[in-house]
Amino acid sequence: MDRDLLRQTLSHHGQSLFTHLKCEQSENPDFKAIEPDLSKASYQRKYGGEDNALVEQFIARKADILFAPSWKSSALLEDVLEEEGEEPYAIMPPLEQFMEVSFEERRNLLYRDIERGDIVIGRINSIRDFGFFVTLICMGGGLERDIEDLELTALCPLRDVPSNGNHDDPLSYYQLNDLIRAGVKDIDRYHEKITISLQPSSLGPNLMNLKLGVFSRDDLPLQYSRSVRVANDNTETYERVLEGSLGYSNPSNVEYLLGKIGVSDTQPPSLMRGLQSKHFLEEDFATTIRKKQSASWALKCVRVGVDHFKSGRHVEAMNEYNKALEIDTNNVEALVARGALYANKGSLLKAITDFELALESCPTHRNAKKYLCQTLVERGGQLEEEEKLVTAEGLYRKALALDDSFQGAKEALKKIELLIQKSLKLREEAAAKEAEKAKNVETSAEKLRKILKEEKRYIHTNPSERMKRKQRRSSSSSSSSSSSSDRSSSGRRKSKKKKRKHRRSSRGKKHQQVSSRDNRSVADDEEEWYPAPPNTSASFLDQKSSVVRPFEGPERTEEGSQPPSKGRSHSYHSLSSVSDAPDNSRFEDDPFDASPQRAEGSKGKGVRGDKTSDGDVKDREGSRGQRKRQGQEDQSGPQDVPSSLEKVKHRRMSSSSAGSEHSRKSDQYTNDLPSQSHISTYRRSDSGKYGSTERGDKKEQERGTRRSDGGDYRSSTDATRNGKGSSAGGSQKKELPTNLLDLFSQIAQFEKEKCVKPKK
Amino acid sequence: MARFITPGSMGAVSRLDGAPGGKRGAPALDTDTDSTREIKTHFRVCRFIMETGVKLGMRSVPVATACVLYHRFFQCVSVTVYEPYLVAMSCIYLAGKVEEQHLRTRDIINVCHRYFHSSSEPLNCDGEFWDLRDSVVQCELLVLRQLNFHVSFQHPHKYLLHYLLSVKSLVNRHAWSRTPVAETTWALLRDCYHGTMCVRHAPQHIAIATLYLALLSYGVEVPVGEREWWQVGGMSQHRSRVLFRQVHDNGPF
Repeated sequence: MDRDLLRQTLSHHGQSLFTHLKCEQSENPDFKAIEPDLSKASYQRKYGGEDNALVEQFIARKADILFAPSWKSSALLEDVLEEEGEEPYAIMPPLEQFMEVSFEERRNLLYRDIERGDIVIGRINSIRDFGFFVTLICMGGGLERDIEDLELTALCPLRDVPSNGNHDDPLSYYQLNDLIRAGVKDIDRYHEKITISLQPSSLGPNLMNLKLGVFSRDDLPLQYSRSVRVANDNTETYERVLEGSLGYSNPSNVEYLLGKIGVSDTQPPSLMRGLQSKHFLEEDFATTIRKKQSASWALKCVRVGVDHFKSGRHVEAMNEYNKALEIDTNNVEALVARGALYANKGSLLKAITDFELALESCPTHRNAKKYLCQTLVERGGQLEEEEKLVTAEGLYRKALALDDSFQGAKEALKKIELLIQKSLKLREEAAAKEAEKAKNVETSAEKLRKILKEEKRYIHTNPSERMKRKQRRSSSSSSSSSSSSDRSSSGRRKSKKKKRKHRRSSRGKKHQQVSSRDNRSVADDEEEWYPAPPNTSASFLDQKSSVVRPFEGPERTEEGSQPPSKGRSHSYHSLSSVSDAPDNSRFEDDPFDASPQRAEGSKGKGVRGDKTSDGDVKDREGSRGQRKRQGQEDQSGPQDVPSSLEKVKHRRMSSSSAGSEHSRKSDQYTNDLPSQSHISTYRRSDSGKYGSTERGDKKEQERGTRRSDGGDYRSSTDATRNGKGSSAGGSQKKELPTNLLDLFSQIAQFEKEKCVKPKK
Repeated sequence: MARFITPGSMGAVSRLDGAPGGKRGAPALDTDTDSTREIKTHFRVCRFIMETGVKLGMRSVPVATACVLYHRFFQCVSVTVYEPYLVAMSCIYLAGKVEEQHLRTRDIINVCHRYFHSSSEPLNCDGEFWDLRDSVVQCELLVLRQLNFHVSFQHPHKYLLHYLLSVKSLVNRHAWSRTPVAETTWALLRDCYHGTMCVRHAPQHIAIATLYLALLSYGVEVPVGEREWWQVGGMSQHRSRVLFRQVHDNGPF
């Protein structure tokens, strides 16, 4: 019990109240504790009036509530001044005015109650050199009193006058009879002196935003203007003023004022013992009951739905489930049942969403977990067939995380891990082979011969392209040879793969992504990639060959297969080398060469690279074969590739991305012109990726059979790079030097030009 | 007006009400006059309204409206003819609409059902539920007609809050912050709706009376001028006493 409060009451009412209290509160331990303190003083009744007995009885009976420390609902609320012009409730003139409190009384009360931080408004009545004097006319905030006729004077010392711009003497800004708004800085109650200040620091935190200083008549507070009106008009009673004001009609003024005062309306105070809010149980409240009820109603619908489901009436079952979910959204049972229905129908993704949602609300739901595992595994199987092995693996792992004992998931995971490992192994083997091959340093002449040979294989060639290809090939061959000679085998591999990847990436997002993803998945598992050394001769070749590939669709792809692999491979090489540029400073190629190659490469690289075989058919087969290979994640070199391309294809296969790209290209003509930046990023990622063994393989392959391989590799590298770059290769991405970026932009331009070009 | 009892509604509500020893069981003593019994019944039902209001999250003013509707309704009719708890539920529903704090019948029924059968399961969506719903809605129409569709009232709450602010400015701010006058007066105002004084007096006067009692309870010193503060609000000495007696009459009930 609040002792001080009780004392205050007792001193007001007198001893008889104390008697009553003792009588009514005899069982109250809190009262008993302070009773001795209270009884020490004797109380005189301060007010005389009838009904005392009743009041005292009332107080005595309710004392345990009235004086409970928790009765005071909130701490001191900061006085927030309403905005000017807004009137959320009726702002009344000071009550003193209506009560006609005497002059003396008001003056005394003011000096008793005014405090630092209150705001006053007054008129300057004299300006001295040490400050100016202000006659207060009203209070501006913090206290509402009628003070105009009190004619109080306050001093604003010089140091509290802020300087106004250029005026040397701040006081010169002010003139007699200016209206000033200031904050009270100091009060000497004994001597009845008030010091005010114009510094914003004199105000309390809640009133900080008010502007102090010269003030206009229009901004006088509403209560003052109303009080002036009241003073002038005798017929204005409190009630009339109240009912005449705008804030009175505000329908939400009760809420607003309650908030201002600090009384809660949702847990309202009451003096009735039965209505004390704390006695109300949470579960009796409307919202709680409603939730429970919704859940039970929804459950009924679910049961009916399950019946339908078991009898095979799926449509009705779905209706019931949806109805249940309307009644109670996120109802666990309904979600699980609906998920099961979706899974049965085959909409696995929707099923997974439903199960996950159910598990969010109830993580221990046995059926939800079980079904989710099953669905994840099934979905994983689907993805496997679509060759999205990484995602599939992720799903299997997720399923296992949910339920360790789920056999199906374990098996599937093992299987896919095996697959991935196998493909990695194959790649390694291929890389090893390439390494060996790479040891054969080819001279430029040899390379040229090879290129010419391949060129003959292609039927559809664009003479201009051929020319370019030749040029590129030569450059790429030289670069590749140099690169091969320079690099270690692994390095070579990587650079090649990088190149290939770059090319692939430029070819087409989809292809690249798919293949790269696969590649990347493999690459992710192996973390052995290192960047190719900067001075690889192969890069030169790569650049050229890679650039050859134009950005054309199926026709191009065919052409790709047709045109001299030399050119292509060169373009690929060059492109890849371009992409690999940061690692290998292969930018010896002139940009022009690079760009067309890139342009071509970006579109048709993958396809062409893959299709180093004779004719489209072969390419197609090759792509198919590659596709299959990719499907199996089997990146071992030897695959069922038609004749001449076998070698190439071996190497290509090691970069499954090539195959995938290839296949994809043949499948879908999505020669979207990926933005150059996109290609660039792919390339960058490729170059950044020194982790992919494929690169090494590809590079080897490139060196070996630049042309066809180049295309494949490039596509694969690009693909892998792209995919990996996007999926996993965040860490592998490297920054490209500016010259590479320049080249890329040029390639982009060139590609755009090329796109319009020959479509055979 | 014809006796409003449909088999469904009466049955439903008495099912709500539960066992004969339920909360609105008849008083044991025969010495209680009918009027006392009635007053007690109304008191109990108003308590029911207030409690339901809290559980439904109703603000003070809609609860006050519900109580006023209830009191006014039973000023015209006999409590033996109409089921008071059903009327109370309808008054709550109607008050929510009038004061723009719309409540769902489903929530009202849920809370009331639980009031009568504590710790029971929520009602199923079956015939009984729909019966109850129908009765509430029909009774609402009955209340409206009985009151001639005058269902909008001036409540003392607004006045009370403004007076509170004005008086607050008279008193030293530290003394004010120590004293829970606002809570007490708000509680008093809410509690006085248990009885009929809320319909017999002007809202301003009720507001002043509650504030007066609250200030008196804590011995707060308010300066006096030519007039007392409560006289400013239009209260005469005599009336204030009458009211103020009634206000705290409701308290110890």
